Formats: sequence, structure tokens, C-alpha cells
Amino acid sequence: MPGFSFDRSTLFVAAIAAAGLGIFGSTRISLGNAIVGETHRVDLGQKAPSGIDAIKAQYRRPLTIPFPKNNSFTPEKAALGKKLYFDTRLSVSSAQSCASCHSPGFGWGDGLEVGVGHGMAKLGRHSPTIVNTAWGAIFMWDGRLATLEEQALGPIQSAGEMNMPLDRLVARLSAIPEYKPLFEAAFPGQEINPKTLASAIATYERTIVSERAPFDAWIEGNEKAISEEAKRGFVLFNGKATCSACHEGWNFTNDGFQDIGLPSADVGRGEFLPGVIKMKHAFKTPGLREIGRRSPYMHDGSLATLEQVIDHYDGGGVDRPSRADLMKPLGLSAQEKSELVSFLKTLSSDLSPTAVPVLPR
Amino acid sequence: MRKLALFSLVILSGLSVGALAANQIIHQQGRVFSSESMTIKKGEAITFLNDDSVPHNIMSASKGNEFNLGSQPPGTSTDVSFKDVGDVQVLCAIHPRMKMMVKVTD
Ligand SMILES: [Cu+2]
Repeated sequence: MPGFSFDRSTLFVAAIAAAGLGIFGSTRISLGNAIVGETHRVDLGQKAPSGIDAIKAQYRRPLTIPFPKNNSFTPEKAALGKKLYFDTRLSVSSAQSCASCHSPGFGWGDGLEVGVGHGMAKLGRHSPTIVNTAWGAIFMWDGRLATLEEQALGPIQSAGEMNMPLDRLVARLSAIPEYKPLFEAAFPGQEINPKTLASAIATYERTIVSERAPFDAWIEGNEKAISEEAKRGFVLFNGKATCSACHEGWNFTNDGFQDIGLPSADVGRGEFLPGVIKMKHAFKTPGLREIGRRSPYMHDGSLATLEQVIDHYDGGGVDRPSRADLMKPLGLSAQEKSELVSFLKTLSSDLSPTAVPVLPR
Repeated sequence: MRKLALFSLVILSGLSVGALAANQIIHQQGRVFSSESMTIKKGEAITFLNDDSVPHNIMSASKGNEFNLGSQPPGTSTDVSFKDVGDVQVLCAIHPRMKMMVKVTD
């Protein structure tokens, strides 16, 4: 985006310069495009803090999985998608499947700091979980893909990951006799092609939902479901520690992009919005379901334990222009930190085992 | 930090005390824009009011009407007027569900 690079501090400097000339009231600062006026402070009034019951109500589990209109759920699509998801023949080496990096054994991640791709080479970022991805607003750590269907085809083709050109994959799958009737059942009259492949995988992925955790039982009224310590952690999560400003709702994310001050050179979302200072080093806020099973943490896998994660937030991270304004030292006591960790552990469910499907030959 | 200092300076100088004009206002409470679309005449302003509890970063990359408000703290408002006729996609860079269309007419 050439020519699209300005930030708020430039505007403020300009506003102050104008104020010095005594023309502030009518100043309009044009940057060649839309015209941005000065920023006013507005009194929003004092909002009464929400009571615990109102806060808890924001964390109720949804009753149904959302599927998009253009790729609605059918059991045939989900069953085919599951086979494709676990099929190593989707990679050029026939050695890696989607499940290699997004494995049910590790909370649908891989338990590694960063992913491992084609030729066992390390990738740049931590493999994210795909749990609750049906609720995702945007995909990948840097938000470069808009839909789960696009996302499903991304790692398959990526040279560093499964390294499989789609035309070659379609030819390979078409040569496996038992796939043909499965595609026909899921997509009557259509062929094995990138669109049906992506639709099937995305449909299966949307069915991967975190199961009921002790936290859900507590939200629904069972006071004995979690410890008093964890309850205090939940209050901190929504209060002093400000976690819920980003990790909000039942899946604990609003899918927003924030630079949380990790000392990594990766610009993340900034690659796609280079003129927006707050997007430099910004990564998508991950959900926190099954978080106790998903170490190591962060987009780069740089923190091994939840305790280290809390310490990072408590310190506020690297102070730089891109760092989210919400990131600042929290001043948490050792007890408060341990309460937060106790709370986070209540988000793990008793995941029932996932059976690996018998694959077509 | 520097930005914050500048911001306070503007406020302390009493320079930012301006009532919201009769512009059309877009609210941001609850991480959503109060309207999905809005029609406005060329040269007129929309007021983007952050009445939410977290910062937002309102922007557009639509050709001819690009702007970027940067991190807009809760309790502040900024006016934006559009010079080119056409459809402007306005987004929050932080929150991907915050999207709206502004139709700029002659
Ligand atoms: Cu926002």
C-alpha cells in the first residue's frame, strides 16, 4: 500500500503545531485522502462495574455450531473431511497430514514451539489449535486468510509445509478408488477439485469443538465445579489483569490483533497493514479453551508454561510504539498470579478420544 | 508514552473541548460499529466515537479516501470527512468483525 503510512502521533504533532498558531479550532489536517479532524475527549459518564453474574453470563457456551451458508453441514461432508484431515497423502512426501501439526493428542496443536514442515524443517510460528475454529472471524496468526475454506488449502500448498500443488493433489486423490464414492456422496455431481476438498476439510474442522469443561459447569450454576482460587482468578481475569479485554466470550477471544510486546522480530499482521503502527508485531488473539494442554505458548512458542505467560503480561512486555495500549505492567501478587493459572486450568475439558479414521485405498 | 504526553497536552490546554457537531456518529461500544452502512455527502464529516472500554484503530484503505485514526482511546472522538465520491470500506485494524461501508455521494 504505497503512500499509506501515517499514524496518530503525526496527527497530534500537527494539531499542536496548529494550536501554537492559534488556529486550532478550525484546523483540518489533510493527508491527501480522507480528512481527519482533531480528536476530542468525550465524557462517557461513569459506568457501574458489572456484577459477577452479568460477567458470567457473557461466557455461556453456544448451543449450535455456526456453518456458513455457502458450505452448510452434512454428515457426508464431515466424514469425508475427517478422512482428508488425517490423510498423509495430502502432503507431497505422503508423510504429513493436517493432523500432524493440529493433533487431537495435543489439544489440536502439536505441542512444539514452532511447527515442523516439509523435510522436517522448522516453521516460523507455533502451530495454532483448530479447536472452535468454526467461530473464527479471520484465519492464521497474521490474519492473511479470510475463510476456513481458504485456510484448509493454505498449508497443503505452502512450500514449507505440505508442499503439495493442488493439481497434483487432485490427480493423486482421483487415483485412490475409494475416495470417489465419498466425494460423490458429499458433493453429488461435483468432482474432486480444490473447492470440494476445501469444503470437506473445513466442514470437519468446524465440528471440532471444545467439550464441556469445569468452567462451563460453574458458569451454569454449579458452585462446586471449580475451586475458590479459580473463581478469584476469573475475577482478576475480568478485572485487574484485563485479560478479557481481548480474551472475551465463551471461546476467550475476539480474534483481534495486538502487539503484546514479545521480543520477536516477526512483524505479524504488520506485513499486511504496513501503514498502521499498531499492527506491527501484532498477532491474532488465540482462544483459551484447552489451554492447559497447549503448551508451549504464544505465536512463537517462546513461553513454556502458563506461569511464564502470566509473568509476561504482568511485566507488560517490550514498550514500543506498536505495543497495544492495553499492555502495561499489572502489579499482580504471587497469589494473584497463581489464582489466574488456577482459573485457566478450568478451561480444559475431559476430551473424549478422537478415533483415527480408516483411510481410502 | 510520548503519544500519551502529547495527548494530555492537547486536553490540558483546553483545546479539545468541542461539542460533537451535528455529524452522523458511529459508536463502537461492544467491539461493533453502530451501523453497518452510512451515506454521507462529499466533504461532510462522520464522527467516530470510541464509547467502548478498549482502544480501537479505525481506518480505510479504500482508494481516494484512505485514513487511519491510529489507536483511539476509549472516551475520545474524531471526525473524518471524505473527499472522493464512492464506497469506502471502513474497518477496525484491531477487531476483524468491525466493518462498515460509507457511501460518499455528491
Ligand atoms: Cu476495534
